[in-house]
Amino acid sequence: MNKARWSALVVGLLAAGVASACGQLRLGAPERPGQTLTVLLPDDVGDSLGRATVSNPKGATNLESRNDATVASTNRRPTSAKHLSDSEVLRIFGDALSALPPPPQRFTLFFRFESDELTPGSRSMVPKILEAIKNHPVPELLVVGHTDTTGTIDRNFDLGLKRAEMVRGVLIDAGLDGAAIEIISHGETDLLVPTADDTFESRNRRVDISVR
Amino acid sequence: MNNFRSSCGVLGNRLCGGLPCIAAAVLLLTAMPALAQQPAAGRVKVASGAAFIVRGGSAVPVRVGDTVYQSDGLRTGTDGRIGITLNDDTRVSLGPSSEVSLDRFAYAPAEGQLGFVLRVVRGVAAYVSGRIAKLSPDSVHLETPAAIVGVRGTTLALRVVPE
Repeated sequence: MNKARWSALVVGLLAAGVASACGQLRLGAPERPGQTLTVLLPDDVGDSLGRATVSNPKGATNLESRNDATVASTNRRPTSAKHLSDSEVLRIFGDALSALPPPPQRFTLFFRFESDELTPGSRSMVPKILEAIKNHPVPELLVVGHTDTTGTIDRNFDLGLKRAEMVRGVLIDAGLDGAAIEIISHGETDLLVPTADDTFESRNRRVDISVR
Repeated sequence: MNNFRSSCGVLGNRLCGGLPCIAAAVLLLTAMPALAQQPAAGRVKVASGAAFIVRGGSAVPVRVGDTVYQSDGLRTGTDGRIGITLNDDTRVSLGPSSEVSLDRFAYAPAEGQLGFVLRVVRGVAAYVSGRIAKLSPDSVHLETPAAIVGVRGTTLALRVVPE
C-alpha cells in the first residue's frame, strides 16, 4: 500500500469515527431519506467473494473487493467504491448479519443411467445428511431431482421427480419426518455439467439435497 | 393451510357484522384459489423481538417456522430481528426498525420461471445469494428507494435511510 492510500485510509477512519460519534453514517455525503449504503461482504461459506453493481438513472458503481461500499441517493450517481472497515460493517450491520440463518448444507446423490437407483457411493452419504440436520433450527430438506439431457424434456421432468421421491423414501426409512421433506424436479433444466442435448452424462443424473 | 386460516381470522374479525360480512365472504371465496395455489418461497428461521410478516395489508407477529410467500413483507420494531431461508437457499435477514418486501420469488427452472426481487424499504438487511443467482443472475435484483443492486453470487449488506 503506498503513502497516498494510507493517508486516504486514515482520513476515512477519522471520518468514520466522526460519523459514529454523531450516530450517523456519512461516508462523505449528508444523510438523505432513501439514501442507500451497500457493502459487498465475503460469503460465510468458503469465504468466496461475488460481485454487485449498484445503479440508478445517474450512474453505476461496481463492488468487486471485500468490504467495497457505495452510497446511492436519489438523483445522484452512486459514490465510487470505498473500503468499509470490519468494525464499521459490524457497527452498522451487526444486528442484521447476526440474524442470518445458518448456511444451507448441500448434498448430491448420483443415479444409475435411466433409473431411480442410487450409486453405492451415494447411498453411503445418508448418515452425513442425518448429521447435518442437527445444525439447523426448524430443519427442512428440499430434494431436487435432475436428469441428463438424453430423452425428452417431459420424460426427464418425470424421471427427476421419481428420483426425488425415491430419495425421500430413503430418508424417511432412515428416520426422518416426511413432513419436513419437500420434493421437486428440475428435469434436464439445471445441469451440474453443461452439455448439448441428448448427451449421456452421469454427473447430471443426480438429486440435490439442501438441508436448512 | 394454517397460514391461510389465520389470515381469514384477521379479515373476519375486522369485517364481519351484517352486510360487510357478505362482502368479506365473497372476497375470501375469490381470494382463496389464488392463495391456495401460491407455492411457499421459504421459511422463517430466526425471529426475536417485535417482528412481523406483512401479508395482504395486515402485519402478523412472526414465529420461527412460519412460511414465507412471494409478495410478503417483513418488518421489525426497534428490538426486532428476522432471518429467513428461501427454497433456492437464498438467505435474507433484517436488523431492528427495518422493512423489506419479497416482490418476486420464482424458483421453477423446469417451467422457465426464475427470479428474485427484494425491495429494501428502510433499515438494515443482509442478503446471501442462492441458486437463482447462479442459474439466472440477471433476474436477481435488490431494490431500494435510491438504487437497484444487481448481483453476481454474493453476500451483501444494505442500509436504507427511512423516507
